Amino acid sequence: MSIEVRDLHFRYGRITALDGVSVRIGEGAVGLLGPNGAGKSTLLRILLGFLVPERGEGKVLDYDIRREQPQIRRSVGYMPESDCFIAGMDAVTFTAYFGELSGMPRQEAMKRAHEVLFYVGLGEARYRLLDTYSAGMKQRLKLAQALVHDPKILFLDEPTSSLDPTGRMEVLDLIRDIAAHKSIQVLLSSHILDDIESICDAVVILNHGRVAAQGRMEDLRAIRYSLYELRIRGEAAPFRQALETLGGRVDEAEDGLIKVYAPEGSDHMDIFRAAARAGVQIRYFVKSRTSLEDLFAGVVGVD
Amino acid sequence: MATVKERGYRHWDGRLVERRFPWLPIARTGVRLAFRKKGFKFAFAAAFSPATVFLGLLYISERIEDFKALVRTNQNLLNVSPNYFKTFLTSGPFLFLLVLVLVFASAGLIAEDLKHSSLQLYFARPLKKRDYLIGKLAVIAFFVLIITALPWVLLVVFKLIFAGNFKFIAAYPWLPLSILGYAVLLTVFLGFYLLLMSASGRSTRYVTVLIFFVYYFSAVLALWIKGIFKTPYAFLVSIPANLQQAGAVLFGQKPPQPFSPVWSFLVLAGICVLSGIVLTLKVRSVEVIK
Repeated sequence: MSIEVRDLHFRYGRITALDGVSVRIGEGAVGLLGPNGAGKSTLLRILLGFLVPERGEGKVLDYDIRREQPQIRRSVGYMPESDCFIAGMDAVTFTAYFGELSGMPRQEAMKRAHEVLFYVGLGEARYRLLDTYSAGMKQRLKLAQALVHDPKILFLDEPTSSLDPTGRMEVLDLIRDIAAHKSIQVLLSSHILDDIESICDAVVILNHGRVAAQGRMEDLRAIRYSLYELRIRGEAAPFRQALETLGGRVDEAEDGLIKVYAPEGSDHMDIFRAAARAGVQIRYFVKSRTSLEDLFAGVVGVD
Repeated sequence: MATVKERGYRHWDGRLVERRFPWLPIARTGVRLAFRKKGFKFAFAAAFSPATVFLGLLYISERIEDFKALVRTNQNLLNVSPNYFKTFLTSGPFLFLLVLVLVFASAGLIAEDLKHSSLQLYFARPLKKRDYLIGKLAVIAFFVLIITALPWVLLVVFKLIFAGNFKFIAAYPWLPLSILGYAVLLTVFLGFYLLLMSASGRSTRYVTVLIFFVYYFSAVLALWIKGIFKTPYAFLVSIPANLQQAGAVLFGQKPPQPFSPVWSFLVLAGICVLSGIVLTLKVRSVEVIK
């Protein structure tokens, strides 16, 4: 396991940010998913040693998160959520500077800064002052400074926030390339489901500071519930009630499409029986492949 | 903008090293960035004007016969002694020029990092808070020492060269140490004071105003208090007065105010301690809003 934490607790004053989080993260790209305020950024900050957990323990690449923070920081590249740069600097100096602070020799850091800036697509703009960079360029710059010392793991905190669709696709493309071909493990924290779904092999879903679900994407899609999409003729309310008594969750779209999240191990015939009891006809019925959005809605309980 | 992945990503085959002085890149970068600021080079050059004037006076003092007509009115002007050095180094104009240079160089040292949220980038590296603060302090130390210690120790050497003998240094062998001691005092005090101010806001302009305001308002406040209570201890609230009082002791001269300079040292040390505490609280890798 490259990251393993057990029973992490953390509070900001009276607000509980993490409440007994235990996570095991292996190789590949892993998504850290959850609504705003779920505790994703707090978990990343604890892993980096920015925050000290009240309780619990953990390891990143076998380094203890409480005692071996310098070793962790040498092995991890961190791309924070908020815009961060140093005014009056150009991209090469900036990237080389953080390479040097990571422990790279000065000349090597400068050479490497050029390479990673070309890689993230800022080659042409590398001598421009950072103050003049657009939001998309700053986002790539943050990725460059996270990559400059060739980390073993990348922590990416909302890497596509504040990007236009093209910029978002390009940054995702980069992250996908890093995760798939560069043998760098990626821990991608985001509340954008599509980003996680398009890049990650596994996901940890946090909600209210607790782990709502974790595992490989395929396994998570398969377990816990089955998703059915159907259309009915008749009164929806009693049918919904009948389904909910079976332990399922029902979402109704504006176009009349009903999504039924049936509990793990349930029989699809139960839905037909419920329809018969409620006096409605099922006109359309299909077992759907659960997307991450559905999984998210299922475990977090939000649309 | 160029397309992504113009060149492929290659792994770096080097080894990350554990630096003996992890703060050194921060100090080096801080100094370099200061020279890129508009108007800084002018202020920096101007800060050497007292030393240049002093150099001229040293020369005249050793060639008194050639300049008799010029110095007829004020012979004291050419009586070079430790008091002479003290007067220059603790004078209002010299301290103003020094603070001016330091404002350019240091107002944004922490303020800019707070404004642009770059503290988290620093602390995502194997850096301690102590390393970060020492790096920033070293930027201030560089400028204070280069403006204070270096030229003024050199001026002692020039005095010997112009005189062609070692009488001056034989009479005052401790003078270079006094200059260095005073430079260290300025470095420590101004370092903590300016970093405290820099951490007090996110705007460099605001911090610039704050530095000058606190520095000069303390002097004005001292005069007001003196006017009301008629006590020389009023000058303990004045930053320039405390620096002058402490400077006088280091140069072995009579302090300008009739109270023990120990009080001034205590006030300056107190400000440094307070600054250290505030800086420790303000400089954090994560800003937590409770």
